[in-house]
Amino acid sequence: MTTTILKLFVFPASLILICYGILTILGGHITPGGGFQGGAIIASGIIFCLIVYGLDESPIKLSDNFMASIESIGALGYIFLGLAGLFTTGFFMYNLGVDIYHIVPPYIVNIFDYPDPLHAGIIPYLNFLVGLKVLVGLSAVVITFLESDKLLKNMESK
Amino acid sequence: MVYIGPLILGFIIGFVIGIRIKPSIGSKLNFPASVYVILAIVIVIIAYQQGPFPWYTDSVFANGLISALAGIIVGKLTFGRG
Repeated sequence: MTTTILKLFVFPASLILICYGILTILGGHITPGGGFQGGAIIASGIIFCLIVYGLDESPIKLSDNFMASIESIGALGYIFLGLAGLFTTGFFMYNLGVDIYHIVPPYIVNIFDYPDPLHAGIIPYLNFLVGLKVLVGLSAVVITFLESDKLLKNMESK
Repeated sequence: MVYIGPLILGFIIGFVIGIRIKPSIGSKLNFPASVYVILAIVIVIIAYQQGPFPWYTDSVFANGLISALAGIIVGKLTFGRG
């Protein structure tokens, strides 16, 4: 049963959870955690809203097209970063931003360099893309369950 | 010097989620601007307590956390009005 207190509390709490998940993604190349864990935390914030408010009244609305687009961007971006290394150096998923073997021209290293003190190259970008994919994927599971539950109730009523 | 990497990536993810925060048609739920103002204050306090995560030394705040909330709010204001 959803009480008024829950309805007032859950949306701001889920936004804090989402921000925390984003922070986990951003620290993924240095600290424990990363794209999957951060994406799962963000998805937990979205699922929190879905469970309390229901599918129809949830303030965070993920449509089918949106989920398909974000998941595709995550997967294709990951493959693109892998292929960029393959075509440039011959190694799939070569870290172009770090260039440990010194076989990449400097201007390509500058493109894929991540601007922070560690200069982790493509690792933060991979975390970012995996995070996008996971946040949508895990939310889609719960949305599918909720929609199928609604569908079953409609079928039973008929 | 503020490192721009976490600021941009955090803002983008926040923006992607912020554009999907929309009011439901016919719903009694209402989250006015004051919710976001209070949330911003809470996030700034959390970011200050957390320090420059992860192990950066560029500021006293966890910049990624603040940019994430900024992305959510900007996404909500631009495309998330319903």
